[in-house]
Amino acid sequence: MLQKKEVGKIPSIELVDVTKTFNEGNVIAVDSISLQIDEGDYVFLLGPTGCGKTTTLRMIAGLEKPTKGRVLIDGKDIEAIPPEDRDMGFIFQHFEIFDHLTVWENVTFGLEMRGYSDNYIIREAEKALKTVGLLDYADEYPNIFGNPGLQKLGIARAIATGAKILIMDEPLGSLDPKVSSVFRHELRNLIKDLGLTAIHVTHNQEEAMSIADKIIIMRSGKILQMGTPYELYENPNSIFVANFLGETNFLQGFVLKLLENDQMNIWIRLGGPKIICNNFNNRFNLDDNIVISFRFEDVYLFPLNYDFENSPFDWSKIQTFKVILEAARFIGATKRFYLILDNGDSFVSLKPGNFEENFIIREEIIAGINLDDIHVFKTPENLFNELSLT
Amino acid sequence: MVQIELINISKSFRNFRAIDNISLEIKDREYFIILGPTGAGKTTLLKIIAGLLKPNAGKVLFDGKDVTDQTSEERNLGFMFENYALFPHMNIVENISYSGRVHASDRAQTQALVDQVLMMTLLTGRNDAVPEELSGGMKQRVALCRALLNLEQTKLLILDEPLKALDAGLRMNLGRELLLMAKSKQLKLTVIHVTNDEEEAMMAADRIAIMDNGKLIQVGTPHEIYYHPRNLFVANFMSEINYFEGTCIKSTKPPWDIYKSSKQGDKFYAKIHEESIPMPVNIGFDEIFAAYVKKEYFNDINHGDKVLLVVRANHIKIRLGNRVKDKKNAILGKIIRRKFMGVFYRFEVLIKVNKQEKIIIITVPATSEVHKTFLENLEVTIYFPKELGIVFKYPGKDVIKEVLKLE
Repeated sequence: MLQKKEVGKIPSIELVDVTKTFNEGNVIAVDSISLQIDEGDYVFLLGPTGCGKTTTLRMIAGLEKPTKGRVLIDGKDIEAIPPEDRDMGFIFQHFEIFDHLTVWENVTFGLEMRGYSDNYIIREAEKALKTVGLLDYADEYPNIFGNPGLQKLGIARAIATGAKILIMDEPLGSLDPKVSSVFRHELRNLIKDLGLTAIHVTHNQEEAMSIADKIIIMRSGKILQMGTPYELYENPNSIFVANFLGETNFLQGFVLKLLENDQMNIWIRLGGPKIICNNFNNRFNLDDNIVISFRFEDVYLFPLNYDFENSPFDWSKIQTFKVILEAARFIGATKRFYLILDNGDSFVSLKPGNFEENFIIREEIIAGINLDDIHVFKTPENLFNELSLT
Repeated sequence: MVQIELINISKSFRNFRAIDNISLEIKDREYFIILGPTGAGKTTLLKIIAGLLKPNAGKVLFDGKDVTDQTSEERNLGFMFENYALFPHMNIVENISYSGRVHASDRAQTQALVDQVLMMTLLTGRNDAVPEELSGGMKQRVALCRALLNLEQTKLLILDEPLKALDAGLRMNLGRELLLMAKSKQLKLTVIHVTNDEEEAMMAADRIAIMDNGKLIQVGTPHEIYYHPRNLFVANFMSEINYFEGTCIKSTKPPWDIYKSSKQGDKFYAKIHEESIPMPVNIGFDEIFAAYVKKEYFNDINHGDKVLLVVRANHIKIRLGNRVKDKKNAILGKIIRRKFMGVFYRFEVLIKVNKQEKIIIITVPATSEVHKTFLENLEVTIYFPKELGIVFKYPGKDVIKEVLKLE
């Protein structure tokens, strides 16, 4: 494990009502967003291609000027400060490592350009390479590394200059998925141990969920939702977010009856089952068309003859209905069950890989959902658009 | 009917051995996945099957007939390669209905099929878009549609990374649609699908072939590959693992009743007992641990031999406090990091083995219970059922480093 690096003040970042337009205002890349990144947080800007995440990152880095609004670091407006003096390290998808320089020279190059003394350069370069575990390779050329090694070298180079903020644009984008799924944890641990404030842009939701302290989800230049991965996963504020993070079932229906306790009875379309949902703040009215969402892993499964009455568990909040088991797949850590309702709508149940069952394909079983696990949204004008990830 | 047999196939490019003496059989109507890291030789093998590359040695048989010298056209197959190859001047519908289906006698049926694949690949409503207006993921889906629509004429579908540019959710959905379609009674398809994503492979495959460095490492059902990996490479490729170095103890009297199933009457454990044999191992704790070794390897490992014990991150259980005495295969540790990942929580637990610190990775379904209970810095007991521990003969430090190193 790494020692926590002694750092001075770790900076916070704030964007106040920032807008960026291109093409004389015809293209709005970022549309009056405000956000706060606390010191030492590892924050993700996540969204589909063209959502404005990279433009936002570039404005924080000073590579683009906001058309409107302010970028503050530790409360100070930094518009006048050029990127190289912003105390930031940059990591890009394609590494930007110098092939013709050794590992050592790659790290010391930036320090020399800044005119530091030799003693200082040696000390800082050694410390940085040691931190990322590459000190043993100091005299080698970078071509001995695979992509993770190159990316570590990029981090060493960034932190050697004393950067307290790390700006990363798709830093895992060039990695093999298997390699990326391991390296991402290493990257997080490294940055957390160094105590850096980090901003990481990606379109990959798994990557964001695995690494982030906080995620900012962007779409069409706007911020849709921000919070910890847990908050966003458990309480998505829109169909888009529910669909974008994790795997989610969606079923359409309408409000059949408003009940007491801020609950309502909804009817899944075309003669599907009737389900009770929570309706906090009475956002919904009778006959509203709605979409319900629930996570794959929140669907319980029982055999047809399951004895609920003598079960040791409390099923009072679980609503059950019959489904046909269309297919089941073993995916190692998980098993997936594909289910069809009477009306032809389908959804998925995700269970741990060692989930015990004797279900038979194309036969009826019982599916159950806890009413607290169901989120309800108004049916948007174009549901298809909301569910499209590109 | 399309049954494929590869016999001793090798292929070199200059001095680089891309395919090293591979033999395998793909059954009629099988969904067969070739899985491996970048550069393993998967695409080369696929091109040899498709007739786009000629092997330096070996034979390709289709339904028992030697087709090694036949061209791709003569082999009559549908394929989709990574670089899409869409016609830039045609819109989506023209692109996908260009090949094969164009001559279909029944226009209404053609239209219905086009509509169906568009729906399946979430491209409905984009009929008139031309390729340059589409994102990479969309182009990929159009190429996939085209391969799917060509199926009238062929019974063999070859897919090279068909889901690569797609987001996770869409990838899994399409993977399942592909499988359902391949399995549909009317189509009677044999599918060969190359990927480097293990989840995608498990999702769709009847059987998986794992390749590395031009060699075939293991062929089996997803279940076999996952629970009975042939070596450390396969074990590590399928999910995050932990490993311990230890020694085999084949004494006549095992320290505890390791031959009894952890769960009597359980189908799942019974299956593991069928294919593997329990083995006591010393991995540096006071207690002797037990895990399973593949039957074919049992006799290769003698008393006192060095072994490697591998446990998947999701097979380790975690309990609060010190309960080492109550459990078998149990170790005391401390949670040093925890991270919510959606379906799972991922824990890094610090343990001490032979006076050395070691980090064990554990993934646990993310219930609200786990969220509230297992916090950083708490003392925990971690343990695993012996059926889920896998013993390999010690492959040597270099191999371990090579396999577990990052790329």
